[in-house]
Amino acid sequence: MAATRREFGTLVAAAGAAVAMPAVWRSAHGQGAPIRIGTTISKTGALSATKSTLTGLELWRDDVNKAGGLLGRPVELVTYDDQSAVAQIPSLFSKLVDIDKVDVLVSPYGAGLSAPLMPFIKQRDLFTIGMFALAGNDATRHDKFFHSAPWGPDSKINWARGFFDVAKQNGCSRIAVLSADVEFAKTAAGGAEQIAAEYGMTVVYKQSYPPATNDFSSILRNIKAQTPDAVFVCSYPPDSTALVRGLSEVGIGDSVKLFGGAMVGTQYASLLTSLGPALNGIVSFALYAPEPTMANTEMTAFLSRYEKVAAEQGLDPLGFYIPPFAYVAGQLIAAAVTGAGSLDKAAMAKVLHETEVKTIAGPARFNAIGDWTERRVLMVQFRDIKGKDVEQFRQPGRQVILDPPSLRSGELVAPLAKARSS
Amino acid sequence: MSSRETAMDLAVRRPGRSPSAGRRSLVFALGCVGVLALGVVLTRTVENPYIFFAGYVVIQYVAVATGWNVLGGYAGYINFGPTAFYGVGVYTAAFLVKAMGAPLPVSIAAAGAAGALLGLAMGWMTLRVQGVYFAIATIALVVMAETVVHNIDYLGGASGLALMPPQAPAWAGGQPQFMLMVMLAIAVAFVAAARWIEISAMGRALRALKASEVAAECAGVPTFRLKLIACAISGAMLAIAGAPYVYYASFIEPGTAFSLALSLNAIAMPLIGGKRSWVGPVLGALLLATVQQAASVTISSELNILVVGVVLIAFVAVAPDGIVGIVEKLTGRRGA
Repeated sequence: MAATRREFGTLVAAAGAAVAMPAVWRSAHGQGAPIRIGTTISKTGALSATKSTLTGLELWRDDVNKAGGLLGRPVELVTYDDQSAVAQIPSLFSKLVDIDKVDVLVSPYGAGLSAPLMPFIKQRDLFTIGMFALAGNDATRHDKFFHSAPWGPDSKINWARGFFDVAKQNGCSRIAVLSADVEFAKTAAGGAEQIAAEYGMTVVYKQSYPPATNDFSSILRNIKAQTPDAVFVCSYPPDSTALVRGLSEVGIGDSVKLFGGAMVGTQYASLLTSLGPALNGIVSFALYAPEPTMANTEMTAFLSRYEKVAAEQGLDPLGFYIPPFAYVAGQLIAAAVTGAGSLDKAAMAKVLHETEVKTIAGPARFNAIGDWTERRVLMVQFRDIKGKDVEQFRQPGRQVILDPPSLRSGELVAPLAKARSS
Repeated sequence: MSSRETAMDLAVRRPGRSPSAGRRSLVFALGCVGVLALGVVLTRTVENPYIFFAGYVVIQYVAVATGWNVLGGYAGYINFGPTAFYGVGVYTAAFLVKAMGAPLPVSIAAAGAAGALLGLAMGWMTLRVQGVYFAIATIALVVMAETVVHNIDYLGGASGLALMPPQAPAWAGGQPQFMLMVMLAIAVAFVAAARWIEISAMGRALRALKASEVAAECAGVPTFRLKLIACAISGAMLAIAGAPYVYYASFIEPGTAFSLALSLNAIAMPLIGGKRSWVGPVLGALLLATVQQAASVTISSELNILVVGVVLIAFVAVAPDGIVGIVEKLTGRRGA
């Protein structure tokens, strides 16, 4: 049967519409579809204390969606639990990229979990924000990776330089280095030795200990016998607790002016409230402290919102360490997307490489491999801690900032014995 | 194994020489070829790399569970430290990649040799004790191996080691596809080896040993030598299963290589599938690892370990011979 001209025209129009419809639909769908941010959270396993990352990201997502989203599109988070296991990372991130089709990635917490992700994002040329991956991009040197934490350049060596700056200012020349036999601590201890050598200090004692150690009395006595001026400690939460308790029981001698530096755990309310006054005099690192020199209405507003969520969900009640920088990760994504005007990864990276981004943790500028150009790791000394009430840690004067000089809120109280008795 | 069967019953049963054994072996061989062919087809037709990443993990567990079962299932010597061997395989491969950019076959061969040697050493030192004492000794092996790695800076120590292993050959279609095919080939080879052990004189001797070591010894079975061989084979298999991980993840650290979860799974999978036959570890691994992979991207993975625990307790209490035992009970037949 031959078709009439009208039938032929209708057929052509219908065929054209059928061919064009998917593209039209995709285009329309793409314009209104959410921008998807993908990451894994360590909800279970050894790093489960870091799950407040999700709260920080959710608060940012809520804020940005309330303000109309990015490029007129809502923002959606796609997350999975990585169980704190490196082996989970390749498959989960492949799921995020290949099946969930996320637009932007946020790395898992820390350098260990982020390491298997780095070759993947480099091969796929993906735009990624790093979460606390200390020196995470130093080997891969991916040009679309940016840290949300202000570790600063060459962070493997330099992140704890503040401790040695304070030591130098206070005339310390004999250094003891004590580190747990685990990833972060060994890295920190290695950097410490390099800086000590650079500053002409003598390492009079160097010791690593197995992660399960809970009695430090003999180690502390050994350190005491070497009469160091400063003791740089790289410990994880359980051993930080045992060390602080051991310090109260055994002491460390009158020679020590400075003790601490890289004690993981002193950033979290659970450890702060369990140790209470035993922390007095100890110096450790932090990324935020409620001191007047860091006063920032945006950060204060964020923390007050976070505290409500934390109380409901049983998270770290203070939230000084991780949640603000999860929020910063979101702010960096927002700056990159809006600056580029699209989700073009090269354009987004260009924006962050070339412009300063205003975040709740202060202005951020990045070098070629996504490090903050200015190191903003704080060295704080615990002071005037009485009892175990969490509220006191929200007050100024309890974590006095000794370094960096631009944020300093007080001078070191030394020697340690005096600082602990005051 | 049923308590009604004696060591001697098992020792004289020779399924490998029954008239239908040749046919069964042919079907098995065709099945192995079919599985490998299916793998090739999948890597050529499926575009989504996630399938290959997740598939690698599932198939790796088939290899690990099969390797564990040679000693734990056939000989009845429960090894609580399979990750000691797996970790040695991982770190042997890592050492070779870092030192000389070794290609995967070299790493696999070296890991197998290292695992076999470690198995022999462990067997030599511990097989004179039995039951719970042997199990405790295997746990100690994990702690020792992990501590050694922690203290070798060349292998990254506690910090771990990021490596850029050699790229997959062009014909493979990509790194994830290549890794899936490698692990599939390893798993198929292990299953074939396990089946061969099962139907060979060695398998019969192992069954006799498991039923009663004293009776087997009296019947002329060289029990200590046999246990040493089982340790070496199991150790080599577990180490070989670990070798490709370096090429899969590009980053290794002691926490993953000597992970408790992997040990738990390696033991749970044969127990759930059935320890007596090569089919058991395969079924257990496919079932449990697939559920775990699915659970980790659907429901909360907090339930993962709970699922393993609950299923394990249920099988131990209700079906101690695993899925294979249930099927045999339902169909009313037994055999290798």
